[in-house]
Amino acid sequence: MAMGSGSDTASSYSANVALVAASFSPSQPENMSYGGDYEGVAAGADWAMDRYSAGVSWAYYRLLRNGAEQYGIGDLSVHGQVAVVARHDVQAGVLAAFSAPTGNETYGFGMGHPMVMPALYGMWRNGPVELAGSFGYSRAITSGVHVHGMAPLVDPMNMSELSWSVGGNVALTPGIRAGLRASGGVPVGSMPGVDRVVGAVRVAWGSSRVETAAEVQGGFLGDPFNIRGVLSTALRF
Amino acid sequence: MRAITIALLVLMGCGTTPQPTPTGATCPDVNNPQFTWQNFGYDFMCHYCDNCHDSNLTLNERNGAPLFHNTDSLIGVMDVMVHTDEQAAIGPKAENRFMPGGGTSGKCPSMPGGALDMNCVEPTDEERKNLATFLACEIQRTDDWTGSAGHVTDHCAAYKAAHP
Repeated sequence: MAMGSGSDTASSYSANVALVAASFSPSQPENMSYGGDYEGVAAGADWAMDRYSAGVSWAYYRLLRNGAEQYGIGDLSVHGQVAVVARHDVQAGVLAAFSAPTGNETYGFGMGHPMVMPALYGMWRNGPVELAGSFGYSRAITSGVHVHGMAPLVDPMNMSELSWSVGGNVALTPGIRAGLRASGGVPVGSMPGVDRVVGAVRVAWGSSRVETAAEVQGGFLGDPFNIRGVLSTALRF
Repeated sequence: MRAITIALLVLMGCGTTPQPTPTGATCPDVNNPQFTWQNFGYDFMCHYCDNCHDSNLTLNERNGAPLFHNTDSLIGVMDVMVHTDEQAAIGPKAENRFMPGGGTSGKCPSMPGGALDMNCVEPTDEERKNLATFLACEIQRTDDWTGSAGHVTDHCAAYKAAHP
């Protein structure tokens, strides 16, 4: 989620790249029928101006699933957001994300359907402490003849769910921040699904121009994965 | 503008990529089904499915086949009959030819749990239609799928003996 300061009317841009690796295990009660691991590289770009921002990201994966190895792209994701409140210490607004089913669903790279993910977000900052959260509804655009549980393996979510996230971080030094966050989804509607919760610890370092972050994530509910690591770098210009 | 519109439609999945779809097959006579586990289902599964979908295979021997999706017994087939119908069967509402080979780029193992060393042997369209009808009849049947009629413990040994 990109958050601009709201005081600058000039456009700013950023490019980012992330490396991701995860392992996952089967679980019949959670309707998870695969075990294995995956690694991926994701590239993204963001634009921001005043209260508005938008971005796009795409990933390429190597996936080992129940003994079968596959390579492929994931779903293409785009997002945009508008800050309704844009003060230095408080921000709130609406965001909308959309993913196109460019990833192969059969191989576990894609959802198999377009997804729309509108949400509300908020952020509060006081000195070195920053708290943020979002809440929205995510839904697959589908004719309804083909439904499935949580997918895809490389970035799982339900076809119809209330999506949420909370998190916070502290500036330890002017160039280093550390934080915790959690995100998840609660399935709603008639489509099959499971509750999912992911927790993460994150450290970020760098300058206002280049920032690198390392995050370790754990799949606590819904078995999206056992453990996942993300190493990302963003360049702003 | 036209190019952008086409690109958006393709990205939204409105292209020609087929999706696994329920066939909508029905059972002509549930009390006297033409296709049964004994005269159709067992042979079909042994011939096209069980080298990856056998309950005896370990996780890494399944060549990507989902765990808990086992077709070496009737109860296993019926536990995932919706998926089987969507992936491999042909009926009035859909023609599904995703399996075998849908998750492995058309490659299959020549022996249970083996490497992907051959192009998958594809069922004929007639066999896929029969599969849809078989599943539609079994789902309406009141008998216990775990009974002796559908419980197979030889993991296709009888089939292989008859088809060396």
